[in-house]
Amino acid sequence: MRRRSPALWAAALAGYAFLYIPLVIVVVYSFNDSRLNAEWVGFTFDWYRKLFHNEEMLSAAGNSLLIALVASAVSTALGTMAGVAMYRYRAKLLAVLVLTPIAIPEILMGVSLLIFFVMLNLRLGLASVALAHIAFCIGFVAIVVRARLAGMDESLTEAARDCGATPWQAFRYVTLPLIMPGVIAGALMAFTLSIDDFVITFFTAGAGTVTLPLQIYSMIKIAVTPEVNAVSTLLMLLTLALIVVATRLTPSLFRN
Amino acid sequence: MKRFASLLALAMIALTANAKDQLHLYNWNNYIAPETVKRFEEQCKCEVVQTYYSDNEELLAKLAAGAKGYDVLVPTSNAVQALIKGGQLKPIDKSQLPNLKNIDPAYLNTAFDPDNKYSVPYAMSLTVIGYNDQKIKELGLPTDTWAVVFDPKYVEKIKGRVTVLDSSSELFAAALKYLGYSANDVDEAHWKQAVDLIKKAKPYWAAFNASSYIKELTVGNIWLVHGYSNDIFQANLDAQAAGRPFHILHGLPKEGAVLAVDNMVIHKDAPRPDLAHKFMNFMLEGRNSAELTNLIGSGNPNKEAIKYIKPEILKNPAIFPDKTMMLKLEQLKELTSAQRRLRNRMWTEIKAGR
Repeated sequence: MRRRSPALWAAALAGYAFLYIPLVIVVVYSFNDSRLNAEWVGFTFDWYRKLFHNEEMLSAAGNSLLIALVASAVSTALGTMAGVAMYRYRAKLLAVLVLTPIAIPEILMGVSLLIFFVMLNLRLGLASVALAHIAFCIGFVAIVVRARLAGMDESLTEAARDCGATPWQAFRYVTLPLIMPGVIAGALMAFTLSIDDFVITFFTAGAGTVTLPLQIYSMIKIAVTPEVNAVSTLLMLLTLALIVVATRLTPSLFRN
Repeated sequence: MKRFASLLALAMIALTANAKDQLHLYNWNNYIAPETVKRFEEQCKCEVVQTYYSDNEELLAKLAAGAKGYDVLVPTSNAVQALIKGGQLKPIDKSQLPNLKNIDPAYLNTAFDPDNKYSVPYAMSLTVIGYNDQKIKELGLPTDTWAVVFDPKYVEKIKGRVTVLDSSSELFAAALKYLGYSANDVDEAHWKQAVDLIKKAKPYWAAFNASSYIKELTVGNIWLVHGYSNDIFQANLDAQAAGRPFHILHGLPKEGAVLAVDNMVIHKDAPRPDLAHKFMNFMLEGRNSAELTNLIGSGNPNKEAIKYIKPEILKNPAIFPDKTMMLKLEQLKELTSAQRRLRNRMWTEIKAGR
C-alpha cells in the first residue's frame, strides 16, 4: 500500500476522535462514583445496579425497545415494498409520497400526527408512537432498498421468470436475497431512528407512555445522574451487537 | 406479511391492555416523593402512572394539539390561566376536597383562577440569588439585592462566575424589580430601562443558563446565579454529598422576587375524574405535601404541612418568606401578544448584542 501523507492521517484521526471521544466519555463516566458526574471520583458499578432497580428507567427503555422493534419490522416490510415499486415502476408520485416524510421537519410531522390521531379518536399510547415511527421510517428503508436495486442486474430476475418462476418466486428467491444487505441496512437505520427519536415521540406519546429519550430529557432540568450514562452505554452495546449480527448475516453489507 | 400483521396486533394488545385502575399524572420530573406515590397507590388501590414535562410551554403545546388521557396536571399559575382560557380544564368539585381548608388563604382566589374553580395550589418556588458562601464572603459581596447581578460595581468582581436564567420573563422580572417597578410592569419605557441595565451587566455574566447551573454551582465553576430556589437547594444537597468545602446558599433580594406557584388541575378529558379528586385531596394532606418539600426544598402553601417539614428548610427565608417579604413577591402574568412581540424583540437585542 502506498504511504499516505501524515496530514491525511491526522485529519482522519481528528475526524474519528471527534466522533468517538464523546461516546467514550459517556461510557467511562457511567462507572464514576459521583452523583454529580462532574469530575472523576472513583470506579463503581453502582449506577448499573441502581439502573436495574429503577423501574421508571427500565420501563422507558423497554418501551423504546418494543417500539423500535415493531417500527423497524413493519417499516422494513413496507419500505422494501415501496423501494421495489419505486425502482420497478418508476412511479414519480409514489417516490414523492414515500420520501416526503424524510424531508418534512420533525416538529411539523409530530404535531400533524398528533392532530390526526386525535381526530381518529385513537388512544395515544405506545401504539400511536409505533405508528408514527413506522410512518417516518418507511422512507429511509425505501431509499436504501432502491439504491441497492439500482446496483442489481435486472436480467437475473428476468432469467428466473424465463425459467418458469412466478413473480413471487422470482422476488423471493432471486431479488430479495440480492437486496438483503440493503434491507438489513434499512432495518438497522429504522431501528436507530426510532429508538432515539424525541420530537415526534413527544407529540404522539400519550399519558404514561415514556420512552428513553423522553425520560432522559425530563431529567435534564433536575440533574442527569450517571444512571443515564449507564443506560446509554447499554444501548450502545445493543447497537454494536446489532451491527455485528447484521454483518454476520450479510457479510457483503459492509464490503463491496 | 400475515406474520407481521399478527405480530403487530399482538404488540398493540400488549400495549393497550391494563386491568388495574390507573391515575395518569402529568407532572414535572422529581416533583412528588416516591413514598407519597406508594401510599396513595395503597390507599386508592390504583396505580399512579406519571408522564413528565419540563416546561409549561411543552404542556400547553401538547394539550392544545388535542392530546388526552391525562387526569391531573401540575402547571404554573400563568399556564393555568392559559389552560382555562383554552377550555382545557374540568371544574373541580370542592365537596370532594375537604383538605382544601389546609391551604393558606393567601394562595387561594388569585387573579389566575378566581375562586379556585379549576385549580388548587401544589407547591411553589421563588426566583432568587444562589451563591457559593466561601467565594462571596471572601469578596465581601452583598447577597440581599439584585444589584449583585446587575450593578457593574459588584458584578465585575465575579466576572465570568455569574449566570442568569435563560428566560426573558424571569430576567426582565428581576431587572424590573431592581429598578423598583413591578415584575409585571408593562410600560415600554420601563422595559427599555431594563434592557439597558441588562446590556450593561451582560459582559460580566458567564452565560444565560437555565439547565446546567445546578451542576456549575456544585462544582464551583459558578459562584453566583439568578435561579430557582428549588434548584439552589438541590445544588447545596449535591455539594454537601460530594464533600465540597463550601455551601450553596439562597440570597433573598430585598427588592422582591418572582413567586411561581404550581397548581393541580384536572384535564377536561380526564378518564378518571374520581381518582383525580381523590389524588388532589390526598396531596392536600399536610404530611403528603410536606414530603415533597423535604425532598426538593420547594415552598409549601399548606398550613398543615408545616409541622412535618424539616426545620432547616422551614427557617430558610428564600423557601418560606416572612410576611414583609411576601408583599414584595409577585407571580408572573401572561403578556398580551403585542407585549410579547415587543418583549421578544428586546430579548433578541439583548442576546445578539455583544
